[in-house]
Amino acid sequence: MRLLLPIALRNLIQARRRNGILGSAIALVTLMLVLLMGMSRGIHDNLVTAATNLSAGPVNVAGFYKITPGSVAPVLTGATRIREIVEANVQGLDYVLERHRGFGKLVSEVGSVQTGLSGILPAEEGRFFATLQLAPESEYRDGGSDEVKGDPRQLEEPDTVVLFVSQAKRLEVGVGDRVTMQTETLSGRSNTRDLRVVAVARDLGLLSSFVIYTNKQVVLDLYQLDADSTGALWVYLKDIEQAPVEMNRLMEVFAREGYTVMPHEGKPFWMKLETVGGEDWTGQRLDLTIWEDEVSFLTWVIVAFDGLTWALTVVMVAIIAVGIMNAMWQSVRERTREVGTMRALGMQRNQVRTLFQLEAGLLGLFSTLVGALLGTAIAVGVDLAHVSITNTAVQAILLADTLHISVSPAAFASAVAALTLFTSAAALWPALRAAGLTPVKALQASE
Amino acid sequence: MSFLFASLLALGLGSTPAHAAPTAGDMTQMLQVIDDRQRNSGDYKSLVYIEQKEKDKSDLVYQAVVYRRDASDKLVILFTAPKEEAGTGYLRVDKNLFFYDPSVGNWERRTERERIGGTSSQRADFDESRLAAEYVPTYVGQETLGKYAVHHLKLAAVTEADVAYPVVGLWVDVASGNILKRQDFALSGRLMRTTYYPQWLKQYSPSKGGDVYFPREIRIFDEVEKANSTVIAIQQVDLAVLDDSIFTKAWLEAKSR
Repeated sequence: MRLLLPIALRNLIQARRRNGILGSAIALVTLMLVLLMGMSRGIHDNLVTAATNLSAGPVNVAGFYKITPGSVAPVLTGATRIREIVEANVQGLDYVLERHRGFGKLVSEVGSVQTGLSGILPAEEGRFFATLQLAPESEYRDGGSDEVKGDPRQLEEPDTVVLFVSQAKRLEVGVGDRVTMQTETLSGRSNTRDLRVVAVARDLGLLSSFVIYTNKQVVLDLYQLDADSTGALWVYLKDIEQAPVEMNRLMEVFAREGYTVMPHEGKPFWMKLETVGGEDWTGQRLDLTIWEDEVSFLTWVIVAFDGLTWALTVVMVAIIAVGIMNAMWQSVRERTREVGTMRALGMQRNQVRTLFQLEAGLLGLFSTLVGALLGTAIAVGVDLAHVSITNTAVQAILLADTLHISVSPAAFASAVAALTLFTSAAALWPALRAAGLTPVKALQASE
Repeated sequence: MSFLFASLLALGLGSTPAHAAPTAGDMTQMLQVIDDRQRNSGDYKSLVYIEQKEKDKSDLVYQAVVYRRDASDKLVILFTAPKEEAGTGYLRVDKNLFFYDPSVGNWERRTERERIGGTSSQRADFDESRLAAEYVPTYVGQETLGKYAVHHLKLAAVTEADVAYPVVGLWVDVASGNILKRQDFALSGRLMRTTYYPQWLKQYSPSKGGDVYFPREIRIFDEVEKANSTVIAIQQVDLAVLDDSIFTKAWLEAKSR
């Protein structure tokens, strides 16, 4: 190998024009692959961030309460006891949050939106406030200033609400304006609450169009609920990967404690309302999920994007393979006499094959490294620049209003390794042909 | 009996001087008369048009047929137009309201407060009146509504009543005993919707042995989203006996095909 490496490098340099063009193409494909993988990871990151801040905890202990068979509410009674059981039984517990759930119509002077209602206890919500990015007024109000107005921590005050940009735009409201939340109590009576907008946050894709944030007390009052009730307990773990294990553990624990636990169904709670409403029981049943269940209707975005990434990669790699093979065939033809000389001097067939594959492999390695480094640099640059996405459909798909590309070391390494191996493999056939030449034939053919 | 209540309303309460507020018993009786006038001991069928106006949306007009059997609290609403809504329907049996969607062939249980067809109208707007059973009245005063002298009542829902609005304001025509205006309030006290009943008609019911009253038109104004309103026009009221099979899921499914 020590002998072959300098020869391979020399050959690459000698055909620098051809290899330069081919290497650029490989670098470009690598760059594209790295960027696409980075975008996929970015969407996944956005999904995890949005999901575990807006929609769910890693493990969710929630449930449904039915006064009559036909009326169903996403309410848990006896929240204190349920929380005690969670805290006593979850392994690797980080912390537990309460989120009150509701639905209703949010009405302003000019419009209305149907939305989910999330009641929070501001004192418990450090992570939520850290994640929420407020939008400048110009993003939701025509002629608004570039100043970021409001403070979500004012949710501590009574009758306050935090909206997202898309909701504020539709309702034509800003910080300080009043909106009315209209819903029904647990017994079905119409109820309303006037709320003051204390902040408008940047959209977080589809999830943010389904929810507004208010103080826990607002939800309790709107639904006429007991103080010891909640919507769901979001159980945060030190290792989110343990969520399925801990969910199963809690399901067993609650069943032992005498609670009626619904069989696990990997859907968000609001998709179960219709089914549960049609079931013939009254009282309370627990429903445990993990964060992926609560955003399962969005995972198609990642699956579709990954599918697109691989489809594009296959097409580009196929083109590169043709290029590599063509270049290697040309190289074998041009260097037939050289091959004959090397064979006459004692080089073995497998060494000739290795030499050609090494050339392709080195070309692949250098090119993919350059492509991957460039791709990573672009990804970091784009991420730091907080490139905003104005198209709402794209926002919905990317689950954010800024472009987030995240290239992991694993993605970098796998792109470089896979494409290098592929370029080396693409050279196998020409390399075998070169290795198959006898010294006499090779020397004669070149004369 | 209904004649007696009607007479009491028209002659007794109708002639109550402005300064003499009716007693609690009088008011309960007034509500009973209103309920009884609209109730038919037999069956009821009508053709209704529901026109929905919403801000920034095209006006929608639905046509539906309403079937009622008040004796057993059964109700069917079958949408017949527009084409895309034809076949959808509601069935109320034993205090359970079901919605049928023919596009998926699914039955869903809905609450008694269901907004019919997504409009501002509710199941109660098409069902028999149960004011006396569901609310406790208090007297606000005798007022004038346009050219009509009216009794203004405030109704508070009884705890067990399955009603959408816990507080209702009712304006009852002193002369005829018919409701002319109704206001529905949320638990918070906010006015949610105002409904006007500009014209009442009556039709003789052989099964009841008396007249059945029904509003020819109901105008509902959304007081939260001010631009939204719904008009319900009730036509072709038929009090003949209906087939038992109408109040079944199978019948509604068959009609939806």
